[in-house]
Amino acid sequence: MASAVAAPGHQDRYAGLKRHEVILLFVLIAAVAVLAFRSEQFLTTGNLLNQGRLLVEVGLMALPMTFIIITGGIDLSVGSIMGLCAILLGVFWQKLGLPLGAAIALALVVGALAGFVNGWFITRVGVPPLIMTLATLALYRGLAEGISQARSVRGYPDWFFGLGQGELWGVPTQLWLLLFFFVISAIVLTYTTFGRSLYAIGNNEVAARFSGIPVDGIKIAIYTMSGLMAGLAAWVFVSRVSTTRSDMGTGLELDVITAVVLGGTSIFGGTGTILGTALGVVLIQLLKNGLALSGVKGDGTIVVIGVILILSILVSDLLRRQRGAEH
Amino acid sequence: MTSVPPLLRLDGIVKSFPGVRALRGVSFDVRPGEVHALLGENGAGKSTLIKVMSGVHRPDEGRVEVDGRPVDFGSPQEAQAAGIAAIYQELLLFPELSVAENVFMGHAPRLSWGGIDWDQTRARTAEILQSLDIHDLDPDTPVGALSVGNRQRVEIAKALSMNARVLIMDEPTAALTEADVERLFGIVRRLRERGVGIIYISHRLVEIFDLADRVTVLRDGEYVGTHEVRDVTEPQLISMMVGRTIDQLYPHRTANPGKVVLEAKSVAYPGTVEEASLTLRAGEIVGLAGLVGSGRSELAQILFGVTPASAGQILVDGQPVTIRSPADAKRLGIAYVPEDRGTQGLIRPMRIRHNVSLAVLKELARFFFIDRGREQELARRDIERFKIRASSMDQVVGKLSGGNQQKVVLAKWLATRPRILILDEPTRGIDVGAKAEIHKIMSELAAQGMAVLMISSELPEVLGMSDRVLVMREGRIVAGFDRAEATQERIAAAMMRSAQQERAA
Repeated sequence: MASAVAAPGHQDRYAGLKRHEVILLFVLIAAVAVLAFRSEQFLTTGNLLNQGRLLVEVGLMALPMTFIIITGGIDLSVGSIMGLCAILLGVFWQKLGLPLGAAIALALVVGALAGFVNGWFITRVGVPPLIMTLATLALYRGLAEGISQARSVRGYPDWFFGLGQGELWGVPTQLWLLLFFFVISAIVLTYTTFGRSLYAIGNNEVAARFSGIPVDGIKIAIYTMSGLMAGLAAWVFVSRVSTTRSDMGTGLELDVITAVVLGGTSIFGGTGTILGTALGVVLIQLLKNGLALSGVKGDGTIVVIGVILILSILVSDLLRRQRGAEH
Repeated sequence: MTSVPPLLRLDGIVKSFPGVRALRGVSFDVRPGEVHALLGENGAGKSTLIKVMSGVHRPDEGRVEVDGRPVDFGSPQEAQAAGIAAIYQELLLFPELSVAENVFMGHAPRLSWGGIDWDQTRARTAEILQSLDIHDLDPDTPVGALSVGNRQRVEIAKALSMNARVLIMDEPTAALTEADVERLFGIVRRLRERGVGIIYISHRLVEIFDLADRVTVLRDGEYVGTHEVRDVTEPQLISMMVGRTIDQLYPHRTANPGKVVLEAKSVAYPGTVEEASLTLRAGEIVGLAGLVGSGRSELAQILFGVTPASAGQILVDGQPVTIRSPADAKRLGIAYVPEDRGTQGLIRPMRIRHNVSLAVLKELARFFFIDRGREQELARRDIERFKIRASSMDQVVGKLSGGNQQKVVLAKWLATRPRILILDEPTRGIDVGAKAEIHKIMSELAAQGMAVLMISSELPEVLGMSDRVLVMREGRIVAGFDRAEATQERIAAAMMRSAQQERAA
């Protein structure tokens, strides 16, 4: 009993500083400092805003991915859903002749539906998330390629590029969108019954079920959200690059998952924050950009990101164990 | 007798696990040719003590001696080599392998080139079985095809094949039928005549008086005393075990049953529950007894919607209801405190505050937003009401002791203000003090008009707490007794197979 006196966060004055997010913030600052030193172009408002523009798609998908990984699941199919939605957006508009607004809305619906299918099979049939979304990673990509017939769609009207290429109050438009969803997700995760249920499921799914929490419904909801956000990312992406191809978003699921895990969400479920994910997304984008500017080739960048990922997990694991030993 | 040096002697054994002192200075010895019973309630430290003897745990302090020489077992293999074998409650056999293969697993007779001498293996297995007066067990039968009683005989044969001189039996009769118990006793007596020292763990007092020469009692990890069995009486042993008499242990309460609130009519779930029926009234505590595997927890989980009934009908307040999930059950005012706290009851990495609110998150929320003030208020009140010993409401539940963890589960469910409370082994593995507190809470709840269904494997608890006792066997409710007519013997007889009870029910 005496050993239980020190509650987490009560005795350790530095507990706040040992949080994963704080460590990540320091890593981010250090990275920015080093990169700014290596390249003059790096630390300029123009470059940073442009990087902000580039990270939005990964950022949008990383938000529901955080939810999913907190419950102990994973969604490997987000890159493919994004590709599918991008192609359908173009096809609905150009081939089926729908108004562009309707085509966008329909593409979002397809994204949500694709996520719902993942969630339905995971909860009702009991397919493990890793296997289910690995299957739909291939399936949705295959559909995208089949539908596109290796042709791209271009020639969108000018207003369509406002989201991906325009600015609002001097900041890339899509960054406002990401900020909006970031705030919503953070509030949902921290303050609502839904957010609390996600942590409960991730820490002990059986006990959550035994407590009357609608585990299956919640899981279906987060996979559906993930699909919807991948659809939204597709819209932003097409608007940014002005064209639609079926290979869009290939491999993006890795960036998304890396950002979430780098942000301190345990791949085993139960812990994680939206703030951490946001820092993870920013750190990865800045590393990619900064290293490219200082002349490091693409392969080298991936190696650096991998090393940072491993280090950050080691450090936070070390701190968690240290904290565990204190009481 | 006393001049014979003990085969195995333990002195001043102390063993701690994180958060618990399982043994605090326990001494014990067993002589050749005696049955020495080890007695104590669940959580008294019996299992830890036998694990120290059999080399599973190393004691933190104290001496272990074999034939008067100090030993330090680093593994069960070392203990076996010293002639100490243990038979645990859950038998550790390979169901796909034959009797002979199981008996000689790991130490089979070898041929000159190193291969296993199968003829020898079979012959020696047959020989050991003969010596135990077991004639109906073929060394070539796969173990998976055997009854529980026969499997246990295989375990005993296995111990003897390693020339065990000390045999530890952990609740060997827990899952046996009456006839198998008789045969087991025969075997134990035969082994005693051969000079084997037998350590016999049980909390069935009748067996101890029947079989044992000496008895040692443990309570809360402490050594209470060792006596010759012929010198003690049953009430004496009970008061040694619990530290007070049964009358003091359970709160007195006059039952005042109201109207029927829950009724199950022939509910079933494939493979576990067959046509079980029961009624539960407001203000009464109904004990549900039965052997492990009789379908008690499964019945509870049907009523709670974890595994919805495949047939039959459930009525709440006389109205037929459909319960397809715990959420449905919760809405109907049913709460279930599960048997397995760690996996079903609690979210151990989360704080007390977050656990007690888990079943009432919706009620605590305004527009999906959890009202943290009300959540803290709930946690504060529960900690006080249930005397949960914790540093604060922010303490992680996994760090609490078993009894306090159970109180958190209870608090979580009582927060839903249920009218029907199902408790599955509510005091298993928790210390005597917390146990008494939980019993007191149960009595208070019943007095306030709650209908309580309590599943328990401890007959004294069933007898002490229940206004009525139902007995389950093979997925059916086979007997029911009022408080006045319920006795340990009658309930036990109904739990086992017994023709007279069948007719009486």
